[in-house]
Amino acid sequence: MATTTTTETPRPTLFLRNATGLVKAWSTFDAFLYAFWSVNLVTLGLYGMSFVYAIPDGQLLLAVLLTGVLVTFLVLTYAQLVSAMPRAGGDYAWQSRILGGGVGFVLAITGWWFTLWLWTPIYANILVVQFFAPLAYTVGWTGVATFFGSKTGVFVSCLIVLAFVSWVITLGMEGYAKIQRFCFWLGMGGLVVMLGILLFSTHQAFIDAFNREAGSLFGATGNAYQATLAASTKGGGPTGVGFGAFGITSTFLLLPFLAFYLLWPVWGATLYGEVRGAKEYRKVFNAMFWGLWVTVALVAVIILLIVKTIGWDFYYAANASYWNSIFVAGAPAPPVGIWPYPVMLAGWLVNSHLFQALLIVVMGLWFFGWAGTLFLSSTRVIFAAAFDRVLPEWAANISAKRRVPYGSLVLMIIPSLVVSAIWAYQPSFQGIFLWATGVIAITFLGTVIAGAIMPWRRKDIFENSPIARFKVAGIPVITITGVVSAIFILFMIAEWSFNAVYGTSFSLNASSPIYFAVTYLVAIAIYVVARVVRKRQGIDLARIHREIPVE
Amino acid sequence: MRVFYATDLHGSEVCWRKFLNAAKFYDADVLICGGDMTGKAMIPLVEDGDGYELTLSGVSQRVGRDQVAEVESQVQRKGYYPVRMTSAQVAELEKDPQKVQTLFTEQMCKTVERWMQLAADKMKDSKVRIFVAPGNDDEMEIDEVIANAPRVELAEGKMIDIGGYEMISSGWANPTPWHTYREAPEEELTKRMQPMLLDIKDMSRAIFNFHPPPFGTSLDEAPALDENLKPLHGGRALRHVGSTAVREAIDKYQPMLSLHGHIHEGKGITRIGKTLAINPGSAYEEGMLLASIITLDPKKGIKNYQLVNG
Repeated sequence: MATTTTTETPRPTLFLRNATGLVKAWSTFDAFLYAFWSVNLVTLGLYGMSFVYAIPDGQLLLAVLLTGVLVTFLVLTYAQLVSAMPRAGGDYAWQSRILGGGVGFVLAITGWWFTLWLWTPIYANILVVQFFAPLAYTVGWTGVATFFGSKTGVFVSCLIVLAFVSWVITLGMEGYAKIQRFCFWLGMGGLVVMLGILLFSTHQAFIDAFNREAGSLFGATGNAYQATLAASTKGGGPTGVGFGAFGITSTFLLLPFLAFYLLWPVWGATLYGEVRGAKEYRKVFNAMFWGLWVTVALVAVIILLIVKTIGWDFYYAANASYWNSIFVAGAPAPPVGIWPYPVMLAGWLVNSHLFQALLIVVMGLWFFGWAGTLFLSSTRVIFAAAFDRVLPEWAANISAKRRVPYGSLVLMIIPSLVVSAIWAYQPSFQGIFLWATGVIAITFLGTVIAGAIMPWRRKDIFENSPIARFKVAGIPVITITGVVSAIFILFMIAEWSFNAVYGTSFSLNASSPIYFAVTYLVAIAIYVVARVVRKRQGIDLARIHREIPVE
Repeated sequence: MRVFYATDLHGSEVCWRKFLNAAKFYDADVLICGGDMTGKAMIPLVEDGDGYELTLSGVSQRVGRDQVAEVESQVQRKGYYPVRMTSAQVAELEKDPQKVQTLFTEQMCKTVERWMQLAADKMKDSKVRIFVAPGNDDEMEIDEVIANAPRVELAEGKMIDIGGYEMISSGWANPTPWHTYREAPEEELTKRMQPMLLDIKDMSRAIFNFHPPPFGTSLDEAPALDENLKPLHGGRALRHVGSTAVREAIDKYQPMLSLHGHIHEGKGITRIGKTLAINPGSAYEEGMLLASIITLDPKKGIKNYQLVNG
């Protein structure tokens, strides 16, 4: 009945008996896949990097590497938290146990509930610019592409995202994990093809292909390549940007753009296991670390191939002319009137619309393999808050037959519909919502602070965890990594908030801080009301995380 | 009347002490331990000259004889059994699984006996009733130890009146991939429940204390495993693994309250018709006692309930 297991030494260090839950080690690759999807280099990465033209003398490749190094500290902090408090799993539980129930609720509910409503139109916009619009133009359905540019089209794209996300939740994580795996392999295949095309094509071939397809698909006349450069210059965009441009401050200022995708390898830090040890810590760390660094490496390859084949000045100019035509009054429209999706541009190097369409479809799997998880974390946080009696019981309800978490879905979908409608039909409000990334960063900030103080605040848990032995000059490593991560996150929050180069700046969106302050106040109000109401019912919410004395 | 329910302590000394202290801490009248109180692993502390060598959580260490008691406490805190032995004894155990099993049983019984004594010492002047229904991971031998305990009542297979509420208990579970000690096919679980169900006079005041959670709820979702017991998709893919027999019993009889454990990740509360079903989950490895407090009212039935991380 009993079995033995060993670590490094040949002698058994542990005898196990048959007991529920004693599973074998999970696959690091499976966990890597989740981290890799979270820092999605295509959907989030290419989209986020399309704004870096705003800081032309920043060195993008160096900034990507710097972000990778700094996010590694975040990965280290989360991996240690997973190792020390594995069952807790997630920002809400860690913060609640270390910082207190009220702080945990407010930070988690704002980051994982209220803010993800705002991500619906952001996801929808990515779906449109990376899938619907380029695909529709490629197959000649310009009417469809135009529709998705209209207010109703924007709203419909939000509905499509919401429908897809709801379907994923009803499907369950196991079903969706299979879809993700399929999307990963096919999407990676598409990426290899795209990189191969860029590698084996010349810059002149790209200019020719661009001019050809700009005319064929978008009706542009003359030298569209030069016209794009000119449109950028006229719209106030950068001119003649060289890849070697390097300014130290500017390079650091690129980091908040890159955080749009590179900050998320810890998105799904909850992992499972039992009778774990330090090895388990390394597994968690490896999964997130390699999810981050494989992405960093691929981004480096993409950047270098863009420099080689598309041309760095053109890449910046194409993005600048597109975004400026939307956001800068009087800026001329570029000859190619849609977002310069690098996948589409690479596809144009093959003179076949069928191939180009197929490449866009295959690369679209990077969206569908990733977007389904939009509300998964949210539903879990809502469940946890309902189990803690902070939210009403119905919020955690699941339908008897299909096991759909309709309570939490309602709490996500209805506000998301409202936000999507405002986004679509009142574009002036869009700027208010752009700071959404900042709210999630604040949630992460709460977690890294919790990690940094855990050795003192929850000494009992820390000292009995595998990470207790990780110290540098007597200081716990989790404190060091937590402090470094906190400084990094604070830097980005400050830049997003106060530097006008980012579209999120409060100076550009005066109502934005008010909106987000209100969401924090609403979260605080919910918690305070819950405390009062439950007190009347004889339930003391303060005792949820209060530790029972041992002796 | 206030009921404190915790489950799946899995040998954690800290959790058992917290369980006993919960009566005073939460002002509870009844303590119920839902099963799986015994540990899953045994850590050999191997004699080496004037000290001992051991590996805990993957970290190898050597401790002097004066430190060994402290290290043993650390091991117990995690829910493991520390056993001092020579390297020759380790080698002998490695070759003979039956000897390992015998040693496990011995350690389990010894620990449960010590826990029962602890309960007797701590609660000797208290009127709080304490119930334990061993779970599927608990070997049969511990039943006798509990039955002989002066302050703890063995609840397995009985209908027990607690302050006017009727509680029936069973730690038996539907089959698991680990082939544990109290597993049976669903039909047999139904047969085991039947006599106890017949004893209940008023289902609106009944408490089911069944270790496995009802199938198809949020309380029974565990990581999906492949045939080699390896979690699929990085442990994120979840599957319902609860008992259909328990689910059918709840669906049919609609007791006031249904208490469960077994699935540590399945922490939650759900309603099945009129029944409030609870699985407080387990985080024994962290030394945290996940539990639920249920306040019962003679008129209202369940007055309120709460999950706590004590």
